[in-house]
Amino acid sequence: MSRIILSFILLVLFWSINFRLQAQLNGNNLAEYQHGRLPNDTSSTSTLYDRLVANYNYKFLKASATIEQFNTPLAGSSYVNLSQFSLQYKLKPLEIKIGNYYETIGRGLLLRSFEIPGAILQDLSYRSRHYFNRDLLGISAKYNYKNFKTKILYGNPLNYVFPPTQSFNDRRSDAIFAINAEYSLKKQTIGIAAMKHTNGGNENVFLMGNVSGSITTGISYYTELAKNVSDFKMDDFSTQSSYAFYSSLNYSKNSFGLSAEYKKYNNFLIGSGINEPPALIKEHSYKVLNRSTHVLQPTNETGYQIELFYTFLNQSTLTFNNSIAINQFGNRTVFQEFFLEYDFPISEKHSAKVFADYAEDPFKLEEQRVSAGLSTDWKVFGNSSIKTDYEFQTFKRLGKKYQNHVCVLGYAYKSNIICNIVAEYSDDSFIVVGGSKIWIGGYLKYQVNDKNTLQVFAGERRGGPACNAGICYEVLDFKGVELRLTSRF
Amino acid sequence: MKTLLIMACALFSYYGLTAQNVSNFEYKDLENNSRSFNELKGEKLTLIDFWATWCKPCNKAIPELNKIYDLYKGKGVEIIGINCDGPRSISKVAPLSKSLQIQYPVLLDINSELKSELNILVFPTLIMVNSKGKIVWIHEGFVSGDTEIIISEIEKQLKEN
Repeated sequence: MSRIILSFILLVLFWSINFRLQAQLNGNNLAEYQHGRLPNDTSSTSTLYDRLVANYNYKFLKASATIEQFNTPLAGSSYVNLSQFSLQYKLKPLEIKIGNYYETIGRGLLLRSFEIPGAILQDLSYRSRHYFNRDLLGISAKYNYKNFKTKILYGNPLNYVFPPTQSFNDRRSDAIFAINAEYSLKKQTIGIAAMKHTNGGNENVFLMGNVSGSITTGISYYTELAKNVSDFKMDDFSTQSSYAFYSSLNYSKNSFGLSAEYKKYNNFLIGSGINEPPALIKEHSYKVLNRSTHVLQPTNETGYQIELFYTFLNQSTLTFNNSIAINQFGNRTVFQEFFLEYDFPISEKHSAKVFADYAEDPFKLEEQRVSAGLSTDWKVFGNSSIKTDYEFQTFKRLGKKYQNHVCVLGYAYKSNIICNIVAEYSDDSFIVVGGSKIWIGGYLKYQVNDKNTLQVFAGERRGGPACNAGICYEVLDFKGVELRLTSRF
Repeated sequence: MKTLLIMACALFSYYGLTAQNVSNFEYKDLENNSRSFNELKGEKLTLIDFWATWCKPCNKAIPELNKIYDLYKGKGVEIIGINCDGPRSISKVAPLSKSLQIQYPVLLDINSELKSELNILVFPTLIMVNSKGKIVWIHEGFVSGDTEIIISEIEKQLKEN
């Protein structure tokens, strides 16, 4: 592996020295130092994580490499890894990529790849840290000509649960070969896809079809159906079969907007989880709600989501969301949530947001979960602003009531300096065994210039599920100091 | 091995001192029409706003970008919104955009291709591109008071061009 990394670096350097006048190099680097304790740690540990992404463009060719490094005193968890490399040829109408690439088919019923900016994964088993992404390693070819688009994909999707310290076979146990074609006529698009998936000795073939478009100004739709056809039973939609159906309808007029979505997923977890059908549960930015999310169960889930938007003349906005997810694993369970938010200006310089949320979450045994909060943003002297947030949540579990509170006090000078003090309280018995706990932490972001940003965290941070860019993952509790430098070049 | 890696990083940084260029890109808009950068870019400057529906500062920035769009439309400055919502929330882009009455074109980058291409690390990020396609300014995040900063940078770049 070291030889491959070395050869690749030398190749890129040679390339950059010879062609630097005509070509262009760009990329970014994320370095994070942590000194502190994770859950169950008895003493503090210092670790250093670094991720360098470098892209080299020369006319219609592009070479990219991502090098990840993690240093920790814990044996077997440190690594230096060429996490991604790719060579791309892009000249309309053809695009070919060899190496690591990101590609999603349709709405992700069959395949979804992603990269969550700035998210570093860590778990207690491996004690290693790595970037949160799911790419494919293989080859992709796209051909776009006028209204016709097609792509052919071959590769091994990454199972992000395993850090780079684990073997290739563990990290990329799935293999896919897929063909996807789309044809657009006026404002309507029809798409089809076929995908062969293998994992170990298992081989499955999936077919997918979708239609989307705009009916009139303000009304648009999207419908997608995918099915496992390995058994050649094309019309079998029984509980034993494997299929996924997703549909959405959008309507907007003047300042009013509506999004309505429906899902029905049955036995549709592909391989180690290379697909990500839309969850149809609102992704919240409020802390108490973001971590209370329902995690999609593609093996059996039916439901819908409706979201309404209205913008008033004074630029205040009203958002309403209702979502339901029904699961049938022996017992029938129904997750449902009602959310209302009003974001309004207090005066020309100051603004505020209020929200209220009611949910029933049988998966977490949370009944009558009520959440509410208020955020304010006060523009004070010059370019400075002061932010306050208060969020509250209460629910019943097995007859007992629990509470969560979040308080944030922040100061911002333009976007250059942002500092927040965050205090959280919980007496949730799933989080704190007996009694209650308070987490207090301070956060500082300093944008040195438009290429470098420094972030510092000190104190204690509450973990739990977090959702970002439509993907949910687990964040660990942390107590200590964290320093992050992000650079772009 | 580690020394070589450090050297590589240093060389990358050294050669990266020149600004990045924006190549032509093409995505679908909210009405399912394919639109390209070359078709939408401003004669003098183009502001590209990377945003997502679930990002609160992004939504806060949009009415301000509308004001900037009104102020500079017809003066060779254009704004393009690049929405990076994934499959989970992309259906909300059109109704939210229309509810917020976004004046400038919004293109859907569902695979975050352009985001990766231009090394976008946070939402929202505003990129200012000159008439030669070169990125001349990058602004990350949005808080009260940023509108004045954006306007002052537009004025500065218009004078320099």
